[in-house]
Amino acid sequence: MAEVKNKEARIGVFLCHCGTNIAGTIDIEAVKEYAKTIPNVVVADNYAYMCSTPGQNKIADAIKEQNLTGVVVAACTPRLHEPTFRNATKAGGLNPFRFEMANIRDQNSWVHMHQPEEATSKAKDAVRIAVAKASLLEDLVPKSVPVEKTAMVVGGGVGGMQAALDLANAGIKTYLVEKNPTIGGRMSQLDKTFPTLDCSQCILTPKMVDVYRNENIELLTYTEVEAVEGYIGNFDVTLRKKARGVITPAEAEARGIVGGGCTGCGDCATVCPVIKPNPFELGMAPRKAIYIYHPQVSPLIYTVDFDACVKCGLCVESCGEKKAVDLDMKDELMTVKVGTVVLALGYDIFPIEKKFEWGYKNYDNVITSLEFERLICASGPTGGHLVRPSDGATPKRVAFVLCAGSRDNTGVGKPYCSRFCCMYSLKHAHQIIEKIPGVVPYIFYMDIRSFGKMYEEFYYRIQDEGAKFIRGRVANILEDPKTKNLHVNAEDTLLGRPVDMEVDLVVLAAAIQPAAETEKTRRLFGVSCSQDGWLLEAHPKLNPCGTTTAGVYLAGVCQGPKDIPDTVAQAEGAASAASIPIHRGEVELEPYFAQCMEDKCAGCGMCVPQCPYSALALVEKDGRTVMQVTEAKCKGCGTCGGFCPGGAIWMQHFATPQIIAQIDAFLLGGEQ
Amino acid sequence: MAVKKDYKDQKLAEKLRDRKYYVPDSNPEFIKDVEKIGQTAAHMCYQCGTCTGSCPSAPRSSYRIRLFMRKAVLGLEEEALTDPDLWLCTTCYSCTDRCPRNLAPTDAIMAMRNLAFKRDIIPRNFLQTVQLIYKSGHGVPNNDANRAARKKLGLEEEPETTHKYPEYLPGIRRILDHYRLKENADRILAEGE
Repeated sequence: MAEVKNKEARIGVFLCHCGTNIAGTIDIEAVKEYAKTIPNVVVADNYAYMCSTPGQNKIADAIKEQNLTGVVVAACTPRLHEPTFRNATKAGGLNPFRFEMANIRDQNSWVHMHQPEEATSKAKDAVRIAVAKASLLEDLVPKSVPVEKTAMVVGGGVGGMQAALDLANAGIKTYLVEKNPTIGGRMSQLDKTFPTLDCSQCILTPKMVDVYRNENIELLTYTEVEAVEGYIGNFDVTLRKKARGVITPAEAEARGIVGGGCTGCGDCATVCPVIKPNPFELGMAPRKAIYIYHPQVSPLIYTVDFDACVKCGLCVESCGEKKAVDLDMKDELMTVKVGTVVLALGYDIFPIEKKFEWGYKNYDNVITSLEFERLICASGPTGGHLVRPSDGATPKRVAFVLCAGSRDNTGVGKPYCSRFCCMYSLKHAHQIIEKIPGVVPYIFYMDIRSFGKMYEEFYYRIQDEGAKFIRGRVANILEDPKTKNLHVNAEDTLLGRPVDMEVDLVVLAAAIQPAAETEKTRRLFGVSCSQDGWLLEAHPKLNPCGTTTAGVYLAGVCQGPKDIPDTVAQAEGAASAASIPIHRGEVELEPYFAQCMEDKCAGCGMCVPQCPYSALALVEKDGRTVMQVTEAKCKGCGTCGGFCPGGAIWMQHFATPQIIAQIDAFLLGGEQ
Repeated sequence: MAVKKDYKDQKLAEKLRDRKYYVPDSNPEFIKDVEKIGQTAAHMCYQCGTCTGSCPSAPRSSYRIRLFMRKAVLGLEEEALTDPDLWLCTTCYSCTDRCPRNLAPTDAIMAMRNLAFKRDIIPRNFLQTVQLIYKSGHGVPNNDANRAARKKLGLEEEPETTHKYPEYLPGIRRILDHYRLKENADRILAEGE
C-alpha cells in the first residue's frame, strides 16, 4: 500500500477527437507526437470517439500488446466517462484504478475555441501531468459494504407519499417523516388540479389512506430530522418527534390504557378556549390550540399547539377515559438506521408583499393564488364561495397576475419560471366562470407556458369559455380607498396601449421558493443546492433524481419547480433509484480511503477531531497507539492527510508522491 | 430593401408604402451604442410592457418606451432616432424602478437622445431650453407670476439660485461652452429658420 510498486511504468496515451469538439481546436496529431516523447509512454494513439466500442477496444488491446501498467485518456470529463474507461482498462487486464483522465475538452477546447495553438499547448501539459500520475498509480480494490434494508422519505407531500408507497410496495420498510401533523402537503390545499379538473383531495386522500395503512410504511408525522450520520447503506438518522400532546391508540395501549388514545372525535377542540389562525387555511379560518388541519387529515390524531395552549385542562376532561391528551408531553429523539434516503421537501410561496407595487398585504382584495385555492374550495373557509376579503361580496371582474415574482432579475423576486402558475391560473379562470355567472377573468401574462400533455388544449378551452388574455406584465396596482376596487395598470403589448383595468379582486400567481426547512435539512444530508436554493441533482439530464451524496435522492419541487405529474414521476424515479442499493444488498465504495502508515504514526490523535465524517479513531495495536480509519465512513476528502504533522496518512489514489509528480510534471516539464 | 412603386399621387404613395422590416433596415451597432452610452443591458428586454404600464407619459401620448427598447434590440436606428416620441420621456424612472429584467429603460432613452442629438435631430423646445439655461441658469426661469406667489408665501422673490447670484452664471456657461451645447443649439435653431 504505502509504497510505489511500479518500478517500470509503461503508459499508454489515448487521445479522443470527440468529433470536432476537441479535434476542431486542438491539433491531435501534434499532441500525439508529443506524448510519445514523454517518459514512460510506450504507446500513443488517437480515435474519433474513444468512448465508442472500437475506441475502448484500442485501450484493451494496447494494454495486452504493450504490457501497459497505466492508461491515460485525454478526452472529456471523469464525471462523464471515467467509468467507461475504467471498464476498458479492466477489460485489458489491468486494475481499473490504473487509469487517469486528462480533460482536454470542457476545460480546454471548449473554452479556448478561438486559440488553437494555446489550446494544443495546454493539451500537451494536461497529458504530461496525467502521465506523471498514471506512472505512480496502484492497484486498488473497492470496498463493499452491506446496505440496510430500510429507506427513509423526508417530506409527506404527494412526492414523498408516492416515493414511500413505491419503496414500501417493493418490499422495503420505509420511514416517512413529515414535519406537519398530517401528510398531504401542498396538494391537499388545492381545490382542483389541471388540466383534468380532478378534485385534488379526492385523488389525494386514497393515497394518504394507502400510506397510513401500508404495513411497510412507518409514518412519522410532526417529526423532523435532527441529525444524520453515516453513508450510503448505513445512515443513522436522528429524528425529533415533536411533543404532540395527544397519543395514538397504539401509544395508549403501550401505556396500558385499554381502548384509549385519540379517535379524532374532536371533543377536545370543541371545549378548547384558545383560538388561533389555521395555517392550513393560510390564516383565513380559525383553529383551536388543540387542532387538526382539516377533516381528511392522516393520521386522524389531534395535536396540541403548546405555544398557544394555556393548559387549562378542559380538553383532558372532555377526552375522559380515552386519556388521549397528555399536556406534559416532551419532544422525543429517536434514531433509525436506513440504507437510502429520498428528500421530498417541497416548497413555500414567495413572500409576494416584497414586490410592493402589487400591494399584497396592503390592499384587502389582492390575494395569492394559494389563498384563492382555499377560497374556491368547498371545504375551505368560505365553503367554496369566492369572496372579496374587504366586504365579502362576490367579485365580477377578477384579474390574474402571472409571473408575480417569477422571471424577475431585480434581486427581489426569483429569476426562474415557477412553471405551474400559467396552468393553475387558467384553471382558476375556469373555476370562477363555472361558479359565478357573468364573471370575467382577465389574465395578465407575458407568455402562456402550457407545455404538458393536454395543457395547450386546456388553454384553448379556457379561452373558449370566455377568459380574457392581456399580454403585458402588471406594472402596478392601486386601490380605490372607497370601493376597495383595484386598478390594475399594465400595457396591453399586443395593442400597444396602456391599460387601467378596474377589478374587484386580484389574484397574484406568486413565485415559489424552497421550503423554509430545506436549507437545514439539505446540510444534514450533505446535499448541494443550486444558486436559487433548489437542491442540486447529480446531473440535470442523466441523473435528475440522484444527488452528489451517494444514497440520497430527490423527489418533487425541492429539486426545482414542477407540477403534480412531474413530481409524482420524479418520486417514482427517486424511489426506484433508492431501492437499487437496497435490493443489491451491498454497495461498492470508491477506494479513495485514507490509510494510516502505522510505522510513521505517532498516535498523537490530532487527526481524529479533524475528520468531518468521524471516520478516524485511535486504537492499540502491537502495544502502540495508532490511528485507524473506518474505510466505509471515509470519503477521501484528504483533510487528515493534509493535516498529519508526521506525514503518516496515505490518501489512496491521491497520494502525496502522485500529486507531487503531477506538480513537478507541470512546473518542470514542457517540450524538451 | 423596401420595394418602391411609382404612384403619381404622393398621398397614395405614402399610404401604400412598403412597411416590411428588411435586414438592411437593421444596424447591429445601434444596440451596442445604446448600451455603451446608457450603461444598461438593453438587449435583455423581454417586452413585458411593465415600462409602458408604469409610464406617466404613455396614457397621454403615443410614446411607448417598450417599442423604443424593441427598436434598439432590432437595430432599427433610423426609426428610433427620427421618432419625435423619443423626446416625450419625463425621466421619472418609474420604468427603471419596476423593470423585472433590472434594466434602465430611461437610460436607454437618454442614450438614444444623445445619438439623435449627434445627428442634429432634436426638438426646437429642447434647444430653446438650452438657450434659457445659458441665459439665466434655468430651463424654466422665474417669472412675475411665480415671484408674486413666492412673495405671498413669505419667500424672497428670487430663489437661492443663479437668479439671486448671477455671478455664478459664467461657470454654467463655461460648462455649456465646453460641450458646445449652446453653439450647436444656436446653429440648429438658425438652420431651421
